[in-house]
Amino acid sequence: MRLSSLLLRSFATAALFIAVSSCSENLDSSGVCAVLCPEVGGEVQNITLDAVVFDTTVQALSGLGTEPSLLLASRGDTLDTRVIIRFDSLPTRFTPTGDSAQAIKSVDSAYIRLRVDTLSIKGDGPFTIEAYDVDTTANDTSSAAVIALFRPDRFISSQVLARTDLKDTTNYYISNATVLAKLQSGAQLRVGLRVTGATSSQIRINSVQSGLSPLLFFRATPDTTTKPLSVAPFSRTPASDPIVAGYLNDYTVVVKGPPPPPPSVLAVGGLPPRRTYLRFDIPSNIVDSTTVVRATLLLNQISNSALDPTDSLLIVPQLVLAGTAVTDPTKASQIVSDIPGDTLKVRPGNSGPTNVELARAFASWRAVSPDSLPRAIVLKVVGEGNSPLDIRFSSMEDVSALRPRLRISYTSRVPLRIP
Amino acid sequence: MRKLFVAIALAVISSRGAAQGALSLQGLGYPTGGLTARAEGSGGGVADFDPISVVNPASLGGVGSAALFFQYSPEFRRVTAGSATAKTTTARFPLVVGVLPMGQRWTLGLSSSTFLDRSSETNLVRLQQVGATTDSVEVTERNRVLGALNDVRLALAWSGSPTFRIGFGAHAFVGSNRISFSQIFPDSLQYISTSQTGRLSFAGFAASAGIEYHPSRVIGFALSGRKGGDLRAQSADTAIGSARLPDHYSASLAYEGIPGVSIAARVAHDGWSSLSSLSSGNTKAFDGWDTGVGAEAAGPRVMQRLVTLRAGARFRTLPFAFNGDKVSETSYAVGFGAPLTRERASFDFAIQHASRKAGPDVRERGLILSFGLRVSP
Repeated sequence: MRLSSLLLRSFATAALFIAVSSCSENLDSSGVCAVLCPEVGGEVQNITLDAVVFDTTVQALSGLGTEPSLLLASRGDTLDTRVIIRFDSLPTRFTPTGDSAQAIKSVDSAYIRLRVDTLSIKGDGPFTIEAYDVDTTANDTSSAAVIALFRPDRFISSQVLARTDLKDTTNYYISNATVLAKLQSGAQLRVGLRVTGATSSQIRINSVQSGLSPLLFFRATPDTTTKPLSVAPFSRTPASDPIVAGYLNDYTVVVKGPPPPPPSVLAVGGLPPRRTYLRFDIPSNIVDSTTVVRATLLLNQISNSALDPTDSLLIVPQLVLAGTAVTDPTKASQIVSDIPGDTLKVRPGNSGPTNVELARAFASWRAVSPDSLPRAIVLKVVGEGNSPLDIRFSSMEDVSALRPRLRISYTSRVPLRIP
Repeated sequence: MRKLFVAIALAVISSRGAAQGALSLQGLGYPTGGLTARAEGSGGGVADFDPISVVNPASLGGVGSAALFFQYSPEFRRVTAGSATAKTTTARFPLVVGVLPMGQRWTLGLSSSTFLDRSSETNLVRLQQVGATTDSVEVTERNRVLGALNDVRLALAWSGSPTFRIGFGAHAFVGSNRISFSQIFPDSLQYISTSQTGRLSFAGFAASAGIEYHPSRVIGFALSGRKGGDLRAQSADTAIGSARLPDHYSASLAYEGIPGVSIAARVAHDGWSSLSSLSSGNTKAFDGWDTGVGAEAAGPRVMQRLVTLRAGARFRTLPFAFNGDKVSETSYAVGFGAPLTRERASFDFAIQHASRKAGPDVRERGLILSFGLRVSP
């Protein structure tokens, strides 16, 4: 009796174990696929098309002050850029330690704290940074009006910094008297910075848009127990457009930029920043009836050795979302979205074939008719306006072998049928 | 340009093959046979006499009382091709049967059994040029098929006396294969992997008849046959093929001259080749013989219950060829059955070891466990 019971229980346990373990199916017999699994998917077809029907270089139109960094550069005949920082709202009263609020009657130790990208500094120094009063009633976005104010009668101060003085946080001292005069008169303090030096100089400073804004500090009393006052960049104008005013808290003005690309060449990057717009005509039977597994824009890069030819830039392709109603490619190039994928690292001095992966764009192009959404992309650099470098490519006006082309790898849908 | 694409598409389509990954899963899949654990445990020999097995509608007459029967049959498979092996586990529920005696002479049965099971998954890695002629990447083709073609039978048996039974069955063959196919590329930043799914649906009809004759208490004969009708296959709303369901004939002999022992042998023929026209590729189906012999014997009493022991052997040809070679299967089985809960339920268990081969290079071993539970409400 006991033996029978034991046998039954043992069997029941074994059966339960086997039943449970076999409930988790494992159908994968890949181990013998070399013999027992003929290919199902068929070959991927690769074709290269002269699919570009329109290409051009357009201005980024991202707007003055939208860049995440400010470029202070003096590169001889090639590049001259200045930095403008607006402190349109200065405090007039302060509260000494242990006392009540009172009017500011003196300014001491005034400086602008700059966040410097030390890895991008060009030049061995020393760097002479001059500050000018660039307050003007001229048009806010007029670079020419501001540039004209970098003149001796507007000079505020100057400071010479050795290469080693330029650290992540660099204090640039300016005239205490200028700051005091501005705040007592209720005027705006708009500082224009210019760098000069015996050698080529280029310093990149984080802007308000980067989140590491320049800040103005000063003491309103010699008493060091009272904390210095700090003032963040602020632009009152244009009063009608607070968004643009926000961008103009600090910005870069280009006095002299790198030479523009020839009209027959496509360019990406530079100052002011440019984008390349390309529109394609792709056979609908590829877009609609096949599965595109890879699509590569084949470009021919043209060497541009004007400035830092061995520095690198990141280029990213973006999908143009502007409909056919937007006929101006410059405007269409502003209405874009990212194409998921890798960025392309390029050097301006390089030349030869350059590939941009575009496969992800086909999902959008398949979903919308080209009559509604032109099959177009934009090439732009990552961090537009940060760098004066521009990358150049052959356009469709070039000889046939160098024109932009599109190589598409696709596979047809597999008929899922009876074997 | 359009002609070029048509030509490419035709070339691609014509190169399709079956990605089944096992000898037993070629073509439309593996025929589980519609046998109960009892019949499987005796090599299929008693199938034509077993009232629950869905082979002979006449055998329904011997069921005795109303019954519900469920069977679970996982298969642990090992496929060997040269030095490569693959181990799989397939969980099957191949048989559900309900039987209802109506009066003294008539018995009605409704059943659903797996006819051809195609559940499989393969991952084939191959080099593929994608882009420039120097750009070759490894693409993984993942092909997963789930589903089966099932035999739903409504049968009626008449038993005029203990020596003779006759039965008829009407069969609806229905089911589907859910297919998912993916091409997976390694770098999602450069390549887009593809995925598509589909469902193949089947519908067909057949009719069966059988007799069971026991001229004496020690010997019995059974004959059964099923005549196949049209089987249609469609993908979504599109018909993609049709064929005749295979005819099936079987004859069995049972000997019960030894007290407590029943020996049975069965031979059956399946006209699987009629399914060839359903194939879109080069998969070939062969007619095949299915022979089995086995015995049941009264075993020991366990917890006051008489346990029936079973053993048998079976040899058959599977329907679909591999590379043009017939796939044969040899099985050896043992099992037992035991009554439960005051004879109102019974449990049957069988374990089969199946060896399959086709040509010299590929071998397959299957270990099939069958758990059958019969309940009489």
